[in-house]
Amino acid sequence: MKFRHLTYLLFILFLLSTQVGYGQKCDLILRGKILHQENDEPIEAAYIMLLETRTGAVTDQKGNFVFRDLCPGVYTVTVQFLGHKEVRQTVNLTGSTTNQTFRMEEESIGLSGVEVHGHRDAVQTTTAVTSLYGEAMLQSRGESLGESLKRVAGVTTFSTGNTISKPVIHGLHSNRIMILNNGIRLEGQQWGAEHAPEIDPFLADEITVIKGAETVRFGPEAMGGVILVNPPALPTSKKHLTEINLLGGSNAYMGNLAVSHLGGSDKIKGLGYRVQGSVKRAGNVRTPNYYQANTGMSELNFSGSIGYSSDRLGAEIYYSYFNTELGILRDSHTGNLSDLEEIINNGEPFIKPAFTYEINNPKQVVSHHLAKIKSHYHLSPEWKINLLYGFQLNNRQEFDRRRGELNFRPSLDLELFTNTLELSLDHTRKQNWSGSFGLNVIQQANSNIPGTGVTPLIPNYDMVNLGAFAMEKYINGPLELEGGVRFDTRSVSAARFVNNQLQTADLEYQNFSAFVGGLYQLSPYFAFTTNLGSAWRPPNVNELFSQGLHHGAAAVEIGDPDLVSENSLKWVNGLEYEGEKALVEFTVYANQIQNYIYLNPTGETFVSLRGTFNVYEYLQADAFFYGFDLSGSYTFTDRLNGYFKGSIIRAKNTEEENYFPFIPSDRMDWGFSYALGKKGKPDSDRITLSNLLVAKQTREPDFDLAPAPPAYALFNIGYQKKLQVAKNQFNIGLQVNNIFNTEYREYMNRFRYFTADMGRNILLKLNYQF
Amino acid sequence: MENLRKLPVYLFAALAIGFASCDSDDPAPENEGEVITDVTLTFQEVNASGGLVGAPFSAKASDPEGIEVGTAPTIQTVNLVKGKTYAMAITVFNSIENEDITAEILEEAAEHQFYFLGSAFTGNILTVSYADPNGVALGVINRLSVSSSPGTNNTQMRVILRHDLDKNFPGANNPNFANYAQAGGESDLDITFPVVIN
Repeated sequence: MKFRHLTYLLFILFLLSTQVGYGQKCDLILRGKILHQENDEPIEAAYIMLLETRTGAVTDQKGNFVFRDLCPGVYTVTVQFLGHKEVRQTVNLTGSTTNQTFRMEEESIGLSGVEVHGHRDAVQTTTAVTSLYGEAMLQSRGESLGESLKRVAGVTTFSTGNTISKPVIHGLHSNRIMILNNGIRLEGQQWGAEHAPEIDPFLADEITVIKGAETVRFGPEAMGGVILVNPPALPTSKKHLTEINLLGGSNAYMGNLAVSHLGGSDKIKGLGYRVQGSVKRAGNVRTPNYYQANTGMSELNFSGSIGYSSDRLGAEIYYSYFNTELGILRDSHTGNLSDLEEIINNGEPFIKPAFTYEINNPKQVVSHHLAKIKSHYHLSPEWKINLLYGFQLNNRQEFDRRRGELNFRPSLDLELFTNTLELSLDHTRKQNWSGSFGLNVIQQANSNIPGTGVTPLIPNYDMVNLGAFAMEKYINGPLELEGGVRFDTRSVSAARFVNNQLQTADLEYQNFSAFVGGLYQLSPYFAFTTNLGSAWRPPNVNELFSQGLHHGAAAVEIGDPDLVSENSLKWVNGLEYEGEKALVEFTVYANQIQNYIYLNPTGETFVSLRGTFNVYEYLQADAFFYGFDLSGSYTFTDRLNGYFKGSIIRAKNTEEENYFPFIPSDRMDWGFSYALGKKGKPDSDRITLSNLLVAKQTREPDFDLAPAPPAYALFNIGYQKKLQVAKNQFNIGLQVNNIFNTEYREYMNRFRYFTADMGRNILLKLNYQF
Repeated sequence: MENLRKLPVYLFAALAIGFASCDSDDPAPENEGEVITDVTLTFQEVNASGGLVGAPFSAKASDPEGIEVGTAPTIQTVNLVKGKTYAMAITVFNSIENEDITAEILEEAAEHQFYFLGSAFTGNILTVSYADPNGVALGVINRLSVSSSPGTNNTQMRVILRHDLDKNFPGANNPNFANYAQAGGESDLDITFPVVIN
């Protein structure tokens, strides 16, 4: 109601202000934006016509259009786009610039020959968003999720060797960021530094990184950012597409096969399905001078979904399975502190075996099931109701080198069930307003499977999280404003036996989070975004309850059941320039985190019959993270292209005035690509030369097992060929990573203490779509 | 259409099952199978002709909590007489599981080995050699000689048990191999016994 008064008031002010210059000066501008009614995605190449002037305009990639040099008066605007109902509306031009947003509704699928728009939801946010898709996705095939995401400026990895890597967004990782598998928040044992996300990158045709605090939209823990792994939208009309990826790597003799098929039913309109699977096998990783013992891996994944979509109803059932077995570098598993010091002083592993695919202890065996039911129903053109339910089962087994029969039993055996349920209501109103509100339930049960012969590192627990959220967005031409609030309450009840005594704990957490953001399209080329969001994360069970030896790490870790939630406030600003030849994205951010939880070396040692161990404790302190990401590309000629990506992060413990461990050092990646193809189709052959420069991390914590490794530079070369075989697409890629076989260590790799990183790797990537 | 109408019913049934099956198990007490709580060195004098003489005596290192954070282990002193030679046997025990780990070590002799370091050996006060049956370099049974002129009464003997090492590594067959870490593997035991020479 208040808003209505406000618009009247503004309108009157508008009229008054325009009275002055009413001398029929024809210099008025009409700007606008065309969006899908369905999901607010911008429509590219929609045709807008002013009937009175008989002039037309076409929308750009962001759905924007502009008419210049208009005289004041009333105009009739028509908007046309294939498969959508024509919009016809009158606009009264008075002020110098008028902004208008139009939403287009799909025509009913009863009409023959009309392509129905898929029901994949776009991310609607004013935060900095970067997506990997198409060619970039093709080039990243064969890499783990974490590795693929390094292609996004500001994203690095926190890794344990070359097979386990966790994405890091703006210096935060594990439970401080969130990964969504087709819309469901991935719930594995994410607290562990050596626990990689349980997701097959081949199920995605697009991976999106949101670099802002998105707790309101996605729930607690999304304080650093969110990664959305999205499969392609299901077809809604008769169509079949099969894609085969076959990859081989010279390092670790990696082989990877992935097949996917999607199809639409010709009998039932709107019915579509997709099946997908991948297998991967690799042996010992080779550094420039030696093989890393026991670093092989194998992976088997598949997923399937079936969906139905009509003009009012959309429903989808989805299931994905992930299974992996990962070998852990033998010598990284140390018995006590003197073992650890010996290998660090040695600078490389003691055991340097020949190549083998065999995986021995220590190893991890992880499987993850995810099932999802999603449906929405359009109550009216303005209102849409959504139901999302996800079920997940995560099994994690970790095997250590042990004596006798115990060697065949896992030392850690966890089973984690998660149910997520979300009911939300979306609306679009008066062309300018859209929003969403809803309820969210997360329920989780973690159990230790008995029989490990080791006191569990984390207890059994039950967790329930209830959340309610509301957010609203206002769009007016080049301006978008949004805001949202959320309230969560979480209860955790944990229990375990330590030395035959039952220990229990019941914990409650409540938190409120909110965000405001805006986007302004300064010109057709320039866009500015800003987003200020609060987020929170309750302490993890391991941070609360760890008590004892972290096997293999020669560390005794002591949790603190009195830890409180972390609270953060992240401000992200983005400036994007998209010209004809140049593309630049600049993101600058600051993140203030209260009660940041970290593992602090106490400086004390603990003596046992097994030897001496360092003692670490979980502490909380205020932290401040800030930095920027810069990426861009420039088209020199129609054949020569250059690109650049870089990021700088600063993180400080503002209470102790010292640095946290494992914060990525400054880095940049730049290169050139040259198109070799025939005239008129130069892109059919492309050669890319790139160089990665990583600085030494000079902001080291007060205590570390070894100093930060020196800076390094790596050179890579790639050749991409696109072939048209009949109507089918055949892509061949040849990549050489680390051409000069440079020996280096990455600060963010936990195995830098023990071994050099991966040496030269020659990859052949074949992709066939038919 | 009939099926579609029933769809919500199926959906909610699936949800109900999902939520109901999702309670954590009651925790079960876990017996520490890997832990070593007692390490006993048993000595018996050996005469010039190689026969065992006198009564055996022992020195024990124990930590009833295993490797849980708690009290430090108690380690008894080894009392030896100068100029004498002893048979030294090592027994390893898990009192939590009431399990003799020595048997497991013997069974996996190819993956285990004891090393003896510390001032007692670097100062030539004690000399040690493996005396395991069948000539395996293991260290469960050893021959230990005390110098007739040790120069000091107090010294230290560090007993290390390595697991998963490369026994063929050059030098690894020496019971005093200070660079044992280079042969790979990890330490299961690392105890320093005080030694008094009378």
